[in-house]
Amino acid sequence: METGLRVLLLSAVLLLATGCASVRNWLDRDEPRAAETPAEAVFAESGDFDEPPPRVIEPEVERRRIKVPRIDNENIELGGVFGALSVEDFGTNPVYGITAAYHVTEDFFFQAEAGRSIAGRTSFETLGGDIQLLTGDERRFTYYNLALGYNFLPGEVFLGRGLAMTSSFYLMAGVGSVDFAGDQKFAVSFGAGYRVLPTDWLAIHVRMQDRVFDSDLLGESKLTNNLEANIGLTVFF
Amino acid sequence: MPRFRSASLWLLLLALLAAPSLCGAREYLQVFVTEPYLELRTGPGRGFPVTQVVPRDESVDVLKRRTDWFKVRTERGIEGWASQRDMERVVLADGTPFTFPLGDRAGFTAHRLEMGIFMGDYGGATLISGFGSFSFNPQLAVELSVGQFLGNASNGTLVDLGLTHVFVPEWRVSPFVMLGTGLVHVEPKATLVMPPDRTDQTAYVGGGVRFYLTRRFFARAEYKSHVVFTSRNDNEEVDEWKLGFAFFF
Repeated sequence: METGLRVLLLSAVLLLATGCASVRNWLDRDEPRAAETPAEAVFAESGDFDEPPPRVIEPEVERRRIKVPRIDNENIELGGVFGALSVEDFGTNPVYGITAAYHVTEDFFFQAEAGRSIAGRTSFETLGGDIQLLTGDERRFTYYNLALGYNFLPGEVFLGRGLAMTSSFYLMAGVGSVDFAGDQKFAVSFGAGYRVLPTDWLAIHVRMQDRVFDSDLLGESKLTNNLEANIGLTVFF
Repeated sequence: MPRFRSASLWLLLLALLAAPSLCGAREYLQVFVTEPYLELRTGPGRGFPVTQVVPRDESVDVLKRRTDWFKVRTERGIEGWASQRDMERVVLADGTPFTFPLGDRAGFTAHRLEMGIFMGDYGGATLISGFGSFSFNPQLAVELSVGQFLGNASNGTLVDLGLTHVFVPEWRVSPFVMLGTGLVHVEPKATLVMPPDRTDQTAYVGGGVRFYLTRRFFARAEYKSHVVFTSRNDNEEVDEWKLGFAFFF
């Protein structure tokens, strides 16, 4: 009982005290508060009233804000290629394709490419007269390929006295698929290319690639090498 | 009529000629050299020769960036490529350092986008696939992968969409788990009895590790266990293993 009373009294005192503290400024609202003028307070303490208080200089110069414009990132390369593809046993024929690359570092790039060619006739078909191994649709040779490229020899080419263009010799290795003779096969490709840039955003490529896949078209399963040489034109974005 | 056509052709030609000059009117960022000098190369790579230097306190305009190289133009109008390492030490007109996203370990820990290519095995068939992912935070990402499998019995394509959770993104070798759904399209190869092509919905759960290599590159190895919801009585289960290279940006 006694403890309860003590707690009650104590809380009443606490309430009153905090209440007084919060209404402290109600009455003397207009008088300046000592805590707000620390410089004067310091002088008051030292008792030196003769010297004027030091003036704090408020800088009125606005800090210059630099708006950083977006810097154009040009790492994507898109373009087309045209060349000749030698389909093993089916002769050499024109091939055209598209290519896209993303340059991750100055050394490495990822490349996706797709192309199409129409295979010719085998020597067996040519000699045999009327024999047709494949129908027209089956002669379509379509491929796609995902590759990793390595810029192996960066350099410059010089045309005459006044023109220098940057260039690079690069290596590529990739995986993909080949759709030929009514069947789709897993293909591995590797090759090399040479890239010359007349301007920063335009590149001319000369490339040589080998697309290797397993074919059982002529009775037995064998690894076929399909060499492709092409010239490409790409634009950097 | 032919005159009108030729006039419009001339207009088009003029517009085409004017286009580059209009593009050239854009504002470039001006930065100031604070080191003794800034080296400019002829191309965006360390193999290209240094042909110009910009002395301290002079400014250059930043024209564009390719991989880790910046094309800049000096006050005298000379253009060249400066390396990322040198550009980290230039300042803006107000004296604050010039900052830009880097391809480093910190970028590996926290990045927005990643892409990559894989090679592997899907239920015994050879698999080629590519993926892209968008990260909400360093740990959680939504991922889309597209693949093609080529086997002896059948070929097909698969598309997966799901979530990836990386446990400790700051580790160089960091494991992750995946959960998602997808579609698989199977084309059985020609045999005596020709079964039709079919497309089924799938669900997958999987896991793997990513391994930071260098710059923006990392290797990724993963396993997915797919359940294919077929129209037959029981569902199929297919295992997918793959290994690949990826990069973030």
